[in-house]
Formats: sequence, structure tokens, C-alpha cells
Amino acid sequence: MNHLNLNCTKGKLKNGLEYILYQDKSIPLVSVNIWYKVGSAYETKGKTGLAHLFEHMMFQGSENVAKEMHFRYVQEAGGTLNGSTSTDRTNYFEKLPANSLELALWLESDRMGYFLPALTQEKLDNQKDVVKNERLERYDNQPYGLAWELINTNLYPEGHPYSWSTIGFLKDIENYTFDDVQNFFKKYYSPNNACLVVAGDFENDNATNLIEKYFGLIEPFDADYKPEITYPKLAENILVEHKDNVQLDRLYLAWHSDLIFGKDDAALEVAADILSGSKNSRLYKKLVFDLQIAQDVSAFQYSGKFGGQFMIISTARPGINLDQIKKIILDEIKTICINDVTDKELEKSKNGIKSQFVFAMQNIDTVADYLNHYKFHLGEPNSFEFDLNRYNSVDKVSIKSAVNNYLTKPFVELRIISKG
Amino acid sequence: MILDRTQKPVNIAELNFTLPKTETFTLSNGLKVYFINKTNLPMIRLNLMINAGSKFDPKNKNGLSYLTSLVLDEGAGGLDALELSDEFDMLGTNFGISTDNDSTNLSLQTLSDKFEKSLELFSKVLLQPSFNKADFEREQSKLINRILQSKDEPEYLADLVFDNVVLGDQNSYSYPVSGYEETVASITLEEIKNHYRKFFVPSNSNLVVVGNIKNDELFRLLTKHLNNWVNSKNDFSFKNISTTQQKKIYLLHKEDSVQTEIRVGHHSPLRSQDDYFQRLMLNTILGGQFTSRINLNLRERNGYTYGATSRFQYYKDNAFFEVSTSVGIENTGNALKEILFELENIHNGITDSELEFAKSSLTKKFPLNFETYRQIASGITGKILYNLPEDYFDEYIANVNSVSKSEVEQAAKLFVDNNALSIVLVGDKNLLKDKISNFNIEVVEVDTKGKSL
Repeated sequence: MNHLNLNCTKGKLKNGLEYILYQDKSIPLVSVNIWYKVGSAYETKGKTGLAHLFEHMMFQGSENVAKEMHFRYVQEAGGTLNGSTSTDRTNYFEKLPANSLELALWLESDRMGYFLPALTQEKLDNQKDVVKNERLERYDNQPYGLAWELINTNLYPEGHPYSWSTIGFLKDIENYTFDDVQNFFKKYYSPNNACLVVAGDFENDNATNLIEKYFGLIEPFDADYKPEITYPKLAENILVEHKDNVQLDRLYLAWHSDLIFGKDDAALEVAADILSGSKNSRLYKKLVFDLQIAQDVSAFQYSGKFGGQFMIISTARPGINLDQIKKIILDEIKTICINDVTDKELEKSKNGIKSQFVFAMQNIDTVADYLNHYKFHLGEPNSFEFDLNRYNSVDKVSIKSAVNNYLTKPFVELRIISKG
Repeated sequence: MILDRTQKPVNIAELNFTLPKTETFTLSNGLKVYFINKTNLPMIRLNLMINAGSKFDPKNKNGLSYLTSLVLDEGAGGLDALELSDEFDMLGTNFGISTDNDSTNLSLQTLSDKFEKSLELFSKVLLQPSFNKADFEREQSKLINRILQSKDEPEYLADLVFDNVVLGDQNSYSYPVSGYEETVASITLEEIKNHYRKFFVPSNSNLVVVGNIKNDELFRLLTKHLNNWVNSKNDFSFKNISTTQQKKIYLLHKEDSVQTEIRVGHHSPLRSQDDYFQRLMLNTILGGQFTSRINLNLRERNGYTYGATSRFQYYKDNAFFEVSTSVGIENTGNALKEILFELENIHNGITDSELEFAKSSLTKKFPLNFETYRQIASGITGKILYNLPEDYFDEYIANVNSVSKSEVEQAAKLFVDNNALSIVLVGDKNLLKDKISNFNIEVVEVDTKGKSL
């Protein structure tokens, strides 16, 4: 499909900043998207959540952009903007009418090169409060909101980069110092540790000149630290029970699995879809449709650069014991290990994935972020066809082997139980 | 040449944006079709809006429209629920049904080469739903459990109470789309069938199609697959009485909460072309954006919250004004004080630069609203729902730009009434009581239906 073959121009400034240009003139918008190669995996004990807090600080202004003005300038120009922090990377993006490309590049370059002079204790204190509220609102005060943290502290050994969540522990958030934030910037926010994508309606020459103009003078430094890739194993199953203010009990099963773009990664995603991705998927049909003992069920492969995990989550209907649900899930995994999945199941999953690739192309923000995603993991931004092909190559044998490799091993079982 | 970084770059050139063109035609059964040809990708988006929202749910049958939409695609045209779902999945087509207060919406998103087959399935769901007893019972009990689960969700609970106290018992818009456990439990399959027969007719619906297909081909396929959809004569009505509320704090106790959900607002006049843009400017300045007054105050200056916004919520036949946020328990009183301050202070006038900022932001953002197939379809659907003028989008920028400072100030007087504010707090009452005791506003403890305890 030629819609998935994106003709990109790639370049690199003298200071090491890599950039990718992709033209799409179907609508007069431009998307600017920067990935910094740092996420929560790079944090250390006692300083969890720092990458995410730092992302907040990047919106607090820089040498030539006063507090609040970063948002203001983009919104005044009719744009939208945000940033996000994951385990592996931090991204910043804005989408603007095409004639405001230069504004976005000025803003992004100012905080890449001239962030520290504008950093103040007052701004830090304010954003620590904001992030504490974010944690309380989105995790602590949400039903089942602590599940992810409970799973990962048990699934990964202490000190593993995925053993804490990106938001960080409340205590750590309270304790960040001014120096922590400064040092974080000095360690990771170098132009040679970032990649800039410009996508949308613009001229290549103009964009190249503007990138050189705004980013070219930023001094690079050595961004050194990288977490190690280890392959943690569980010696035996771990059971965690947590009482919460919830109406219905919920079961979480978590296995170690393959890394992103690893040999079994795509096969595990397809297996997850066959287990729970549609009404007639195996677990949904059994648990929700036929037996009606579960309110919902979902399985997914969640993989990153430094670890992968396969999860199955199911909420019990009132009065149903989680053991009953667990048994059906584990039996189904056994079945997949022994018997091939059907042609129809495979085709159904693949057709869905193919459509989602095309649907994703509607949004220039999404396209820009994918280009950075592929560049980050594969080295080549134009990898949509490669990626689709990864799923298309999944067959009965690879599913069986992937499930055998990972889902027959020990797992973490979390039960969130109603306080009643 | 040395770069002067202190200077914000200025825009080059005017933007060359042309609105997508809407073509309209009517099938012989009376179904009105709005079509936008968009060809950058091989895909088609289709939205069918049926005038069948939860506002039509009879008394004590709240959830009827929503449950109907849940059962509708559980088997149709000779396919059982799982077969039907498989057929859509095999095509890689996304099919969905949603219900809100005003309407039930069926949507289809498909690759162009799978459009006809997808439309055929769509037509089966719409024209020949099976409504089997077993499927009905399963969906009904799933919904009852879903309602039970929503009691865990503080945002949902705050909205539930707010809708009720602001719009009042005598107003169909005040009831939740999903219904209550006992009202859903009382719904029968016969009532679902009757609801379907009464509301799911072409004359009560509008179809919006955005996609990579020729006009005449679309007309041919729609005629082939939807023309058998027949009309029946029916009258619909719903209760829409609103009363002005007294200023009160409604407290919903949620044990062990670590945050307080806050809603502050009141009933508001209907959306109208006469004042829509004035209210839009007003809200953009007050709380519609990140850099609006309320968020800058509560988040960026005081750190009370992760975010705070205000909005005018427009239904087809009703509306309210609402400020919403979630704050740490210890800051509940402080945050409420700042919200009330901003609602007072907006009556003291706005600055030229605030107005210029709001205009610039909204007019320049205009093209961003037409990027995806779904956005375009939603834009047209909104135009139909609110019965907006034919040239609404053509005149949008001019209308925004024509709003004057005094009109916004007038709008603040007319549309932000600080004597009629209902304040909803969802949190742990034992920790909240002393935070709200010195406001001199009556505090009423309520249940999830907004009834005082």
C-alpha cells in the first residue's frame, strides 16, 4: 500500500540533532514532534517520576519565553500542544497552521538550548504540586488506579528500570530538589540525544534552513547513561492481593515477555487480539458472552526497549470468585500452546491491524510521532510497511512458539478485591 | 548573521485553507444524506445520527435508549451476535453505536474497498436487528453491572449529581444516559423493540458520509442498502422544564477519597446564533483553554490541581454552564474560593489583549477542526443537531472576529450568574466539612441521584 510508504528526508546538524522531514500537503497544517531519548527507565531509586516532572518543567518557559507563554504563543497561533513521558522516551509536540512552523521551531529550540537560565525554585514548587495532584487524581483516586504500580514492583526485581511507574512515588515527587532538575537537563537534554520530526505542509528547503537557524547553535554534550537490558525471570508465581474501594473484584495476570520489535513481539500482539480483541475472541466469548462470569476481559502485549510484559485483565461479575476466571484463562493459554489458532482468527486480526494502519494516517500528529517511534527503535522512520509486514508474517507456528516461550512461565497475579 | 532569539517569529503568508464542500441528497425513503468527498486516504467514514437520545426515556425507564443501542448489534439479518461481529472484524471495519442525551449514533469507518460489504452489514443492524431474548438479557445485566461500577468513578459521580441538581427532576436531560440499576432492570425486551420501531426511522435520522468515493456511486450503494428502511408516523416528546436554583453546596460522600471532585455552575439558555460567539469568547477567556483565567489561577499559580476548565454544555434543547476540576482535599476550600473569585471577577470586565488572544486562537485553529474523516463528520453532525445556518462554517471566522469587548462583558452579566451557582463536591465528607464551613453557603449532603439525605 503506497499510503504507508512515506517519503522522508533525513538530516543531522553538526551538534548531533537528527531531523526528519515528511511532506503532506493535503491540509495546511504542520506538526513538530521531538523525542528525547530519556524516560522513567533512566531514573534512579528515590528519584522516580523525575523524567515526567521534568517534562512539566519544559512547559514553564525558557530564556526567551516567559512562564505561561509557551502555551500562550502556540494557542494564539491556533495550535495544539502537549508532551508525554513513557518508560523509554519523552516527547513534545505541537500542531499548528502551516504558516506557524517557525514559531514552533523557535519554542522547541529555546527550551532545548536555553532552558536552565529560566528555571526557578518557584516554578519547580508549583509543578511539584501540579504533579502531586496529577498522581492523586489519575492514580490514587481512581478505582484500580494502583494496579500498574503493584504489578510492576512485583514483576521486576528491585532497581529494574520498569519496576516503578512513570508518574513516580508520591514521596519521591515531594523530595525533588532544584539540583535534581538542573542535573537531569544537563544529563539528557542535549541535541545529540534528540530527534526532531517536521511533518505536514511546508517546503523542505525552508524547513531545513529554519532547523539550522534555530537549533544549529545549541551546544551538545555527552548524554551518557543508559539503563542496561536485562532479562529478569520469576522463579515462581507471585500472588498479590490488594483491597480497594471498588464494587467488582478484578484479576490481573502479568508475564515477562519480549522487547519491542523483538522476535516474538508481533506474535504476542496477535495472540492478545485472538484472546480478547473482539466479541468472538476466545476469552471474551467464554467469560463475558457464554458463561457471563466476567464483566470484561482484555489481553495485551506491552513492550519497551528494556522489558516486555504480557497482561491479561478481567473484572469479575458480582459474587464470582476470581479463581474461576483464572482457571479459564490459564486453560485457554494451554490450548493455544498445543493447538494451532485457526486461519480465520489469524486473518481477522491481520485485517484489523491493516485497517488501523491506514486509519492512523488521518492525523499528522500521529504520523509525526510514528516517524520518531520507528526512528528511535528501528533507525529508519519510514517503517510503516515494515511494521505492517511484521504482523502479516505472524503465522500459526510463531504464535504457538511465542505463547510457549513466555506464557507458560511464572507470572504475577494481582487481585484487587472489593473492601465491601 | 546572528540570530536574535528574543524575537518571536512572525507568521509568513496567509493560510490557504478551503473548507471541504458538502453535497446533500435525499433517498426516496426520505433519509437525508450529507456527503463530503475526501480522497487523501482510501477510507470512508459514515455517521448516522438518529434523534433518539436518553432525553426520550420514559419516567422510571432511564437507560432505555442506551440499552436499545447495546442490543441493536447483538445479531441481525440472520447473523447471530458473534457472527455479525466477526463479519465486521474480517473486513477490518470499525462499527460502533453510541448514545447521548439527544441522539443515538451509528458509525462506520472502513477501507474504501470494503465499503459496500460494510454497508451491507450496517444495513442489517439498522433494518433487521434480531433482538433475541438471550442477547437482551446478557446486555441488560452487563449494563446493570456497569452502572454499579460507575459508583467507583469520582468524575462520573460528580457529573451525575451536577446534571441532576442543575437541571432538576422535571427535566429529562437531568437523568443519566445509562440509567439507574433499578430502571434498567425494569426494562423489557418489548419496550426495546417499541423504542426501536418508534425512533429508528429515516425521517428521524440524518446520514453523514466523508470519504474516498464518488457521489453517484455512494448514492447507488445507499439506495441499494438503505432504501428499504421504512418510515412510520410517531410523535416524540420529553420533559424540559428548568427552574432556577438557589446557591447551595451539594456534598456527595465518597469514603477514603484522596481528592475532591468539584463542579460549579448553573442552567443556561439554549445555544443560539444570536449569542453563541459572545459566549464562546467569554468562555475562552474564563476557562476554555490551558491559558484561560481559571486554569492559570488554580494550576499554574496555586498548584491546587492538575487542571481546571469551564464550558457551556449545549444540548439540542437545553444547556448549562460548568466549571470543573479535581483538587487535593486540603485545598478544597482554597480552590473553591478561587473559582468563586474568578466567576465574580469576570463581571469586572476583560482586557483587549484577552479578547485578541481568544479571537486569534479560535480563528487560526479553525483548519485543525477539519483534519480527520471523523472530525469532518462530527462537524457536519453538530451542524445538523443544532440546526445551524447553511453557511455556519463559511461565516465562522467572521463571526468570531465581530465580537466586541462590550459584548463579552455583557455576556458575562447574562450567562454567569453567581447567585444561582450549584456547587457539587465529591469526596470524603469527614475531611471536607471544615474546609467548606466558612463560605456561608448552605451545605446539603446528597446521594448519587442528587437527593438530599
